[in-house]
Amino acid sequence: MKDTILRRLVIKSFHIEQVMFGKKTTIHENTLTIDKKEIPLLEESEELVKSIQIDILKPGEYHKYTNTIMDIIPISAKVLGEIGEGITHTLTGVYVMLTGVDEDGRQMSEFGSSEGFLDEQMVFDRAGTPSIKDYIIHFDVTLKGGLPFSRELTLATHRVCDRFIQNLRNILKNMDGRKCSEANEYYDRIRSGKKNVLIIKQIAGQGANYDNQILPSEPSGFSGGRSIIDMGNIPIILSPNEYRDGAIRAMT
Amino acid sequence: MGIGPSTKETTLHHFRDPLLEVVSNDEDVNLLGVVVVGTPQSNKEKYYVGKRTAVLAEALRADGVIISVDGWGNSHVDYANTIEEIGKRKIPLVGLSFIGTQAKFVVTNKYMDTIVDFNKSKEGIETEVVGENNVNHMDCKKALAFLKLKMKKNER
Repeated sequence: MKDTILRRLVIKSFHIEQVMFGKKTTIHENTLTIDKKEIPLLEESEELVKSIQIDILKPGEYHKYTNTIMDIIPISAKVLGEIGEGITHTLTGVYVMLTGVDEDGRQMSEFGSSEGFLDEQMVFDRAGTPSIKDYIIHFDVTLKGGLPFSRELTLATHRVCDRFIQNLRNILKNMDGRKCSEANEYYDRIRSGKKNVLIIKQIAGQGANYDNQILPSEPSGFSGGRSIIDMGNIPIILSPNEYRDGAIRAMT
Repeated sequence: MGIGPSTKETTLHHFRDPLLEVVSNDEDVNLLGVVVVGTPQSNKEKYYVGKRTAVLAEALRADGVIISVDGWGNSHVDYANTIEEIGKRKIPLVGLSFIGTQAKFVVTNKYMDTIVDFNKSKEGIETEVVGENNVNHMDCKKALAFLKLKMKKNER
């Protein structure tokens, strides 16, 4: 029997071969340039954030001491439609690594933490980690000290990092889709007559650093999404394309 | 009692999740969707969300379920309960979990007979190394193959 196509999602990748600091944040001819002048504005945007350090780690040069790794985030932007359909642009060859600590030196993690030398604290080339050929934008947040460990600290860290990524997304949105390095089409479909299979993913929803943001406005984003905790941890169903279009921001 | 650095799934992991890739690309099955369910604090709530998940699977007329978990210890309480609720509804299921030597199930039931352990560390422990104890393509292919067998058996 023929498949019934429900909707289409196209993910266009733009490969980045060089990441550097410069006078203006731009993406031009496979080079991503980041303007450090953004940092003070980001620091001011969150009351709980004391300071932010951005560093560029070149492929393979990962012997750097970092605070606990809170997340690895792809840089993706919605160009047409909403999460799960239309067109998404994403960068390959570069990923954002979010790390966090507070002024008192307390790592932003609860059940074991991963601070240490990055090359020893991460297995590269997994689905959830960069490969050794990738650039890493290391976004390190220092939060205000002396505060009780709460969800607010984790949320502020992700929110401020999302603001940084949004600046990149706004550029990525305007890139000429015809010039992408790769385009992949995905379909939500009904395979009639075949066995119905459901994937269930049990995800964290117990508190600070045990949280997930569902269906943000931008792929793998934060803003516009709802926390699984705030939704009472009840099951939410996503279409396959919604899930693969970055419907979940992990805050674990 | 939840998620350690080596078992946590990063946002990038969700974006290129091997589980979705393997199941959605298999032409023998019709993927209904991806359910995400949280892990509340109290046992009463754990049972509440677990049952809702199972009723959802039943309402969708799922012939089979693959259920994964991003943590262990306390998270396995939720996991075992949700599996039991699905199992009671006679829906064949396969689990994916980090177990190793450190994370043996704290609670178990008769429906937890097919769980693929995605531990990758030599010692079978939470190594605090990001990306280490995560599912890969092979784990997911194994899980789907087991599920196909279970669904076939269920037909008879």
